[in-house]
Amino acid sequence: MIAVWAIELVLFALIVAALLVERPIALGVTVAAIGLLSLVARTSPRIWRWATTSFLIHRAAALAGAGVLALALPFFLRASPYWTFIATMALIYVTMGQGLNLQIGTAGVINLAGAAFAGLGGYTVGLLTVRLGLPSWLAVLIGPLIAVMVGALLFIPILKVRGHYLALVTIAFGFIFNILMNNLEFTGGPQGIKNIPTLRLFGYAFTTPPTLFGMTLPSHANFYYAALAMAALVTWLAWRLYNSWVGLTLNTLRDDEIAAKCSGVSVTRYKLLAFSIGNFFIGLGGAFYAVMVGFVSPPDFDFGYSLVMVSIIILGGLDSIPGIVLGASLLIPLPERFRFLHEYRLLLYGAAIVLMLLFRPRGLWPATVRRYGLRQPAVEP
Amino acid sequence: MPPLEVILQQAFNGLMLGVMYALIAVGFTLFFGVLDVIHFSHGDIFTLGAFAGLSLTFLWTAVGLGSPAIALPLTFLGALLLTGLVGVLAERACVKPLAKAPPLMTLLATLSLGLVIREAVLIFYPRGADPKPFPSLLPGGGFEIGGVVIRYENLAILAIGGAAMVLVDLVINRTRMGASMRAVAQDAEAAQMMGVDLDRTVDFTFFLGSALAAVAGILNGLYYSEIHFIMGIMGGVIGFSAAAIGGLGNVYGAILGGLLFGVLQTLAAAFIPRGSEFRDVVAFAVVMVFMVFKPTGILGEKPVERV
Repeated sequence: MIAVWAIELVLFALIVAALLVERPIALGVTVAAIGLLSLVARTSPRIWRWATTSFLIHRAAALAGAGVLALALPFFLRASPYWTFIATMALIYVTMGQGLNLQIGTAGVINLAGAAFAGLGGYTVGLLTVRLGLPSWLAVLIGPLIAVMVGALLFIPILKVRGHYLALVTIAFGFIFNILMNNLEFTGGPQGIKNIPTLRLFGYAFTTPPTLFGMTLPSHANFYYAALAMAALVTWLAWRLYNSWVGLTLNTLRDDEIAAKCSGVSVTRYKLLAFSIGNFFIGLGGAFYAVMVGFVSPPDFDFGYSLVMVSIIILGGLDSIPGIVLGASLLIPLPERFRFLHEYRLLLYGAAIVLMLLFRPRGLWPATVRRYGLRQPAVEP
Repeated sequence: MPPLEVILQQAFNGLMLGVMYALIAVGFTLFFGVLDVIHFSHGDIFTLGAFAGLSLTFLWTAVGLGSPAIALPLTFLGALLLTGLVGVLAERACVKPLAKAPPLMTLLATLSLGLVIREAVLIFYPRGADPKPFPSLLPGGGFEIGGVVIRYENLAILAIGGAAMVLVDLVINRTRMGASMRAVAQDAEAAQMMGVDLDRTVDFTFFLGSALAAVAGILNGLYYSEIHFIMGIMGGVIGFSAAAIGGLGNVYGAILGGLLFGVLQTLAAAFIPRGSEFRDVVAFAVVMVFMVFKPTGILGEKPVERV
C-alpha cells in the first residue's frame, strides 16, 4: 500500500515539475527522468508486474491516493493560473471522452461530430444565460439535454447506416452545425456569444480567488474543483455502466450486431441509449467549457476538436475507462507544454496518432477482458 | 420562378464544380472498391495536387517554358506523377498495414495522415497560411448562347475533367491492370489465386485515384484562381459525400454523385435566400436524407449481410 502511494507521489512530483519548470535544461532533465522511469518499468517485466499487481491489490488505496493528489494539484500550480486552466481543460476532455468512448468504444457507434455536440451544450448555455437571463448552473444542466435531443433526431439516419456511411453522416452533421452557427443571427454569427455569466453557486461566484488552508489560489481553481467533481462523477458512471449488463450488451452490439439481435437485444434501443448518454456527457463538457471561458464561437467547436476527442480515446484505449482519463491527461497538456514546437504541434499530433494506430492500436491503457464472479483480481500473464 | 436562362447558367456553373467533385469522388470510390477502405486523407492529397501544380508552373516559368500551351500539359503531367506517388506512399504507410484491423482504425489513421499532409503544406510551403494566387493558363474570352454565358476557360475545365474521366474508364475497362482492379474488387482472394498481384494492383489503384485528385486540384486552382491549404477538408468531405450518394465502389455513381452535388450546391446558392452561406448546409442535408432513404446510393448494390 505504501509502495503504491510512493509510486503515485513520485509520478505526481515529476509531472508537476515537468509542467512548471521554465528553464530548458531543467525541463530536459525532468522529461528524461520520466522517460527513464517508464523505460525501466517497461523493459523489466519483474518491476512492471510488481507495480501492476500492487496497484491491482490495493486498488482502493491507489484510487484514494490519486484522488488526494488530484485535489492537491491546484496548490502546486497556484503560481500559474494558466496551468490550472489547462488542467481543467483536461478534466473537461475526460468528461467528453467518456461520453464519446461509450459511443465509439463500447457501442461501436462512430461519432465524428463530438465537437458539434459539445457546441450544442455550449451554445445552449450561451443562449439561455445571455438572451433569456437564466442562472448559469441551470443552463449547464439544460445544455446537455439539448445535445441529447438533437442527437436523438440525428439518430434516425444513424440507425439506418453503419460503418463508413455512419462516419459520413456524423461528419456532415458536424459541418452543418458549424456553418449554421457561423451564419445564423441569433447565435451571433462568427462572433459567437460573449459575456456568458460565470458559474454562481449559493451566492459564491466562481471568479473570486478561493482561499484554502491559508493559501490563495487563482480563480480558475474553482473551475478546476468543479470540473474534477464532474469528471469523477462521469467516470464513475461510465465505469458502472461498463460493468453492468448494459455495458456487456453494448459490447455485443459492437462486435456482432446480428448475433446480438439473435440473442434478443433490441439494437435500436441500446444504440439510442448509448448514443444519448454519450451525447449527454459530451454536451455537459461543452456547457461547462462555455461558463468557464465566458464565451462561445464557431471555431471552438469545429471538426478539428472532434478529431482531438477521437484521438484521446484512441490514445488512451478504446473501451477502456481508465485509458480515457490517461489519454485526456496526456493529449491536452502535452501540446501546451511544448509550445516552442507550436508551429509543428498539429503535425506531430497527427503523426503520433498514425504511429499509435499502427503499432499500438489498443491504446496506452488497453481495455482488459471482462471478468465476472472473480473476487481476486487475476494477474495478467 | 426564375427565368430559364438563369437556371441554365447556374446549372452550367454547377457543372464546373461538379466535375472537380466527381474527380475526387472517383478516387474515394476506387479505393473503396478495391480495398473496402475510406481513404480520408484523399482531400488533402487533392490540396497537395493543387500545390504541386502551382509550384510546377513557377518552375516552368523559371526555366523559360512559360507559354501556356507547353506549361499546362507539363504542369498536369508533373503534378499527376508527384501526387500519385504520394498517394501510393500514403497507402503503404496507413492503409495496407491496417487492412485487417476494424474499419474505424483505417478511418482514423487516414484522417490523421490528412492532418499531417495539411500541416506539412502549411508549414513547409513558403507563407503557406495565405491563400495562393493560381496563374491562369487557360484561354480567356467566351461566347453566349440563349442568355447563357460560356467562357472558353470553363469549357477547357470541362474538357480536361471529362477527358480524365474517359481515360479512367478506359483504364479500368480496357487494360490488363484495370481487369486486375475489377477482379480484386470482386474477390481479392480469388483474384490472387488467378495470378493477380494484389500489392501492385492496390498500389496502382492508389496512384490512379491520387492522380485524379491532382487533376481536380489544378482545375480547382484554375477555376478559382486561388488555392489554400485548408481546401482539402471541404474537398474531401464533399468528394466522399458525392461517392456515397452515387454508391461507394461504383465509378459511374461517383461521377454522377459529384455532378449532382455541384449542381445542387450552385442552385442552392443562387435560389435560396442567403443561399451562398447555406449552400453546404443544403448539400449535406441532402446527403443525410439520401442516407436515410437510399443508404447504398444511386447506383450502389444492395449489400448482402453474411453471418
